[in-house]
Amino acid sequence: MTAYLIRRLVTSLIVILGIALVTFLMTHIIAPSPGRAILGDRASRAAVNAFDNAHGYDRPVWVQFGSYLWQLVHGNLGYSYKLNQTVDSLIAENAPHSMWLSGISVFLSIVIAIPLGIFQAVKRNSVADQAITAAAFTAYSMPQNFLGILLIGFLAIQWHLFPAEASQSERIIPYIFAFHSNFLPIATLTITAVAGYSRYMRSAGLDALAQDYIRLARAKGLTEPTVLRRHLLRNAILPMVTLIGLSIPLLLAGNLVVEYLYNSHGLGLLFINELGNEDFPTVIALTLLGGIATVVGNFVADVALTVADPRIRIN
Amino acid sequence: MTVSIGEIYEEVQPSDVAPEGGQIHGPRAGWKLALSSFVENRLAVAGAGIVVFFILFSFVGPLIYHTNQNSTNPINAFLPPSGAHLLGTDSNGFDELGRMMKGGQAALEIGFFASLIATVIGTLVGAVAGLLGGVVDAFLMRIVDVMLSIPLLFVILIVGDRYNGATVFSLSIIIGIFSWLVSARLVRGEVLSLRVRDFVFASRTMGASRRHLIYKHLIPNALGVVIVNITFQVADTINLLAILGFLGYGLNYPQVSWGDMLSNALNYLSDGYWWVVYPVGVCLVLVVMAFNFIGDALRDTVDVRLRRR
Amino acid sequence: MEPVLEINDLSTHIQLSRSVVQAVGNISMSIAPGETLGLVGESGCGKSMTGLSIMRLLPNGGKVVGGSIKLSGVELTKLSDADIRDVRGNEVAMIFQDSLTSLNPTMNIGRQIAEQVRKHRHVSRAEALERAAEALSIVGFPNSKERLDNFPHQLSGGQRQRVMIAIALSCDPKLLIADEPTTALDVTIQAQILGLLDDLKQRLGMAVLLVTHDMGVVAGRADRVNVMYAGRIVESAPTTELFTHMHHPYTQALLGSIPLLTQNRSERLFSIPGIPPDLTDPPPGCRFAPRCSRATDQCRTEEPALEPATNDHHFACWHPVDGPIVRTTIAVNGTAPAPAGAGEAEHSDAAPGAPETVAARNGSAAEPAFGARGWQSGEGDDRLLVVDDVVREYPVTSGVILQRKVASVKAVSGVSFTVGRGETFGLVGESGCGKTTLGKVIVGLEKADKGQVALRGTNVTGLRDRQLRRFRKDLQMMFQDPIASLDPRMRVGAILREPMKIQGIGTKRQQDKVIADLLGEVGLPANAVERFPHEFSGGQRQRIGLARALTLNPQVIVADEPVSALDVSIRSQVLNLMKRLQETHGITYIVISHDLAVVKFLADRIGVMYLGKLVEMGTGEDIYLRPVHHYTAGLIATVPEPDPMREKSKSEVGIKGELPSPVTPPSGCRFRTRCPAAQQICAEEEPPFRPFHPGHVAACHFPLQQPIDGGDPLAAQAGTAPTIAGS
Repeated sequence: MTAYLIRRLVTSLIVILGIALVTFLMTHIIAPSPGRAILGDRASRAAVNAFDNAHGYDRPVWVQFGSYLWQLVHGNLGYSYKLNQTVDSLIAENAPHSMWLSGISVFLSIVIAIPLGIFQAVKRNSVADQAITAAAFTAYSMPQNFLGILLIGFLAIQWHLFPAEASQSERIIPYIFAFHSNFLPIATLTITAVAGYSRYMRSAGLDALAQDYIRLARAKGLTEPTVLRRHLLRNAILPMVTLIGLSIPLLLAGNLVVEYLYNSHGLGLLFINELGNEDFPTVIALTLLGGIATVVGNFVADVALTVADPRIRIN
Repeated sequence: MTVSIGEIYEEVQPSDVAPEGGQIHGPRAGWKLALSSFVENRLAVAGAGIVVFFILFSFVGPLIYHTNQNSTNPINAFLPPSGAHLLGTDSNGFDELGRMMKGGQAALEIGFFASLIATVIGTLVGAVAGLLGGVVDAFLMRIVDVMLSIPLLFVILIVGDRYNGATVFSLSIIIGIFSWLVSARLVRGEVLSLRVRDFVFASRTMGASRRHLIYKHLIPNALGVVIVNITFQVADTINLLAILGFLGYGLNYPQVSWGDMLSNALNYLSDGYWWVVYPVGVCLVLVVMAFNFIGDALRDTVDVRLRRR
Repeated sequence: MEPVLEINDLSTHIQLSRSVVQAVGNISMSIAPGETLGLVGESGCGKSMTGLSIMRLLPNGGKVVGGSIKLSGVELTKLSDADIRDVRGNEVAMIFQDSLTSLNPTMNIGRQIAEQVRKHRHVSRAEALERAAEALSIVGFPNSKERLDNFPHQLSGGQRQRVMIAIALSCDPKLLIADEPTTALDVTIQAQILGLLDDLKQRLGMAVLLVTHDMGVVAGRADRVNVMYAGRIVESAPTTELFTHMHHPYTQALLGSIPLLTQNRSERLFSIPGIPPDLTDPPPGCRFAPRCSRATDQCRTEEPALEPATNDHHFACWHPVDGPIVRTTIAVNGTAPAPAGAGEAEHSDAAPGAPETVAARNGSAAEPAFGARGWQSGEGDDRLLVVDDVVREYPVTSGVILQRKVASVKAVSGVSFTVGRGETFGLVGESGCGKTTLGKVIVGLEKADKGQVALRGTNVTGLRDRQLRRFRKDLQMMFQDPIASLDPRMRVGAILREPMKIQGIGTKRQQDKVIADLLGEVGLPANAVERFPHEFSGGQRQRIGLARALTLNPQVIVADEPVSALDVSIRSQVLNLMKRLQETHGITYIVISHDLAVVKFLADRIGVMYLGKLVEMGTGEDIYLRPVHHYTAGLIATVPEPDPMREKSKSEVGIKGELPSPVTPPSGCRFRTRCPAAQQICAEEEPPFRPFHPGHVAACHFPLQQPIDGGDPLAAQAGTAPTIAGS
């Protein structure tokens, strides 16, 4: 097991290196001369060259990549010339809000989707199953922005149940406790995730239900709830762990849409705003961060799977 | 009484020589079977119907329902639905229904082209990785890992922002060249599993060349997976396009996408102009859902053909 | 005595999306305490559904639609769901075929046993685990307490089946339903498990319903047998009575289609034409009528009831038979050989009406001159194929970044034999013995790490692409799985044309002619060319596979488990066909199978493999009547034969223990860890091949027969390394 995890860790590091290479190349291709971008179109050529030289942008590409990596290892994600602030500090300001939104939504969607999917698998083709499937299919096929518009249109504007805007608190603690204000953003993220997860959970549940060990469990005389809890649940959840790890890029994209839609502080909104500002160091650093988050998420999912599945744990 | 084989045998053998292996009573053949199991799935038929409807709506609709989509007309802004404008007008006075037709064209075109590009690249990469194996495979798959880890939306937004001037063509290419990863993985997996199937071994014992194996066995058998993936890819692309438009990185004026229309609509949500908000959203959901229905049904069909004994 | 189980007029239907399968129709049976009732039949006959009906564990859509099931007088069909749960696992326990999928992979075996005990005995967790350990030790686990923490994937197939049995008996059930309990296991393990079941039945006084397709298994283990066909019980009798005085033509035909170890191989197997009926629309009248040679109009319109012939022998037939089909057998252990010439007589009877009579091949096993390499080929010096010291190993890798080879799986470790033109060579052994790998090496699908395979004197293992392709058409393969070996997206016409296309043989018209001829030869209708593989039954697909292998008119066909996936009645059709085609095409077969009876029926000479090594080689008679190696003898002792007298006279133990890992095979003789005669030298020295009879060699330090005096073992050894042109 240890050998497997070490190997997994090494491949994760290789992938992160690859992501860094891609983001470095993006920077290099999109904004080869930060001097020009920063000093503006009217700056003299000499001034631009001097700037590039001072910041090392005229060195060979591979040297620049080396120093880029060196900075990354030291936790330095770059500098936003547009905001005159290190990207690190921008992230420190905005990340907690995003992490809370994603974290609570993923938690809620798992808690809702697993029982829902198993219920559907057990009662398959019943009216309830078909109704849930139809709802999930609709939500799954709905772009998040339209889902958000529907929620705002009805819950906020029509019925005045929740505000159409997320909590504007810059500090994280009040933001976390602003459940009423943040209801719609959390609901938007959760509904989309539940739609995807429950569809998957239903089919994983159906697969597990068809297994011989369920039949043997029934042959032991166990009650149906016991059969489901002891024998179906764990085996059906295992593939979900991997799925959740894999769905991180979608979650990040969802965050971006939701933060924009509800004007909520966070990395997504920062990304959109800075993209509009052509603040490439910031947006590319955020992309890099998203990639690393994905790799780390997948790695964590694999570790969780290793712990949870004796077939991998004891080998 | 004992019976000898000869006796029984003579009785058994009918005079009009039926084949000894018995007649064939199996299910119906090939595409007919596929078609019938597809048609049995009512959702798939509904999906296909919706897709056909929207193709007609978007491409034939404007020929029947003439509207001015080229010049703004602020006096006519936010007219409610009426005989002249079946679904009213938007903030610029464009006929909403006509605009939806135009947006539909963009959605279907980009969905189709981007998926095609993604599928072609993905199939090639996946097939090469699966066939060559070894170092090439490891290298290509690490690239896929890397690119799958980077959030697609972020990259497309950055590229779209840097090279603005988004047209149907450029957006198709941008989305296409960043969306091939899933199909590459699928095709590689399929090739790897096909390579060790008995019928490929059988072909090899006959002396089949690599070329023969690829063209006669691997491609026809992997095709199902690829086609299924295309339908899902179309759904995802239309979805992505809606979000790009919504965030302000959709098609450039005067072209229009459903996402652009939604973005516009958001501003007027509280003003009661429902016709600029919901019809276009419903179109989006219907089209995406239709492609998902078709994809699901096709996937079942592909499985059925492989699994039916 | 009151029966434990009494089933009356039970019918079970399965509702599919648009049709109803009448899986079980109006069956009645009873089992007395301590009795083993065998329920036999081919796949789809309803035998498993009967077992599942008793347990109320039918698949989705399945439902008991009529009749009664009484367990010790209690009507099970009327019980509530909660009450039937108190019966399951407690009064009736069931074990299933596939122990890998039947045990929960994420729960340790201790808990899997204990949860049943806790449900029915209402004891504490600790007491339940105590009971679980006890149950494990009863089924033969030493250190059973420590084993409780094991997970299913840590156990071998045989061990997992023992765990499933431990679960079943943990609550002392009155009735045990064993649904194909040993079908997934190797014969030596099968014998151990069946022995265990018998032993437990005696000790615990359970009644057993043994559901199986294997007539050999019921012959040795059942007190009475019910034969099922297409949802009906067609015959029910005490075991010996059923095997010797059956009245139903299906029972007779089924038994007649099984190749026997004692079979005279020159005789064609009996086979039942056609395939079983579709149970969504069963034929009116007797369900066997469409395939029955005795069927009359009455049979086709009026269904016979299960009527008693004697007190305990029932059958359902309008035109009963009496006793088995006569087969000539070879002499066994001093019993008188079958009347000489009886086989001939049969054949002359059969000849006129039967176009496919196999010519008597009495000479096939005739004494070849014994010489330095005479034993290597049954047909003198005509060595068509030489397999010389072939080694094939698969690396086992490990490492964090760079995968280093740390060990290897020794699949094939130095196997040599030769096969003469027109001969059939059989390779027999259990799973993991390397026989399939060896077959793939022979046809060039796998490279040999060492050694060579020579066809007509040319080493084919060393050939590069283009030269190899020429030889490939002479070396064809027939696969086990008739589904996987045909491309699902090609029509049968294209499948049969493919070999000719690849080799560039013939014009399209000539190819069409070949295809049409081949289809006729393998007994398929001409319209088959338009169809896809999934439209055929398993037996028909195997016919297509055979036709494809024949297309290039090869000299050698390697048939890997050619009939293992097929039902008994279909199996004999394919076996007969293979023999007939060998006659007409002069093919040389290498038949690979785990089933000694199948190999013995087809092969002139047999090689017995164990863990990558050939341990004994000789004619079928040599192997069966005069085994030399302890493994061969053990294998023969464990193969269940459809003959109650022989089965009941067999000693309990066949081969003890389980197959060692092929990564670290035992030193010296690889069989020594399971051998009753093993001594020090067996671990130190690998035994050489020695001759025991003309053409009969084995590698054992303590053989069961006396080696031929003066037969220089080195001479035989020398023969294993024949010179090969071009090497």
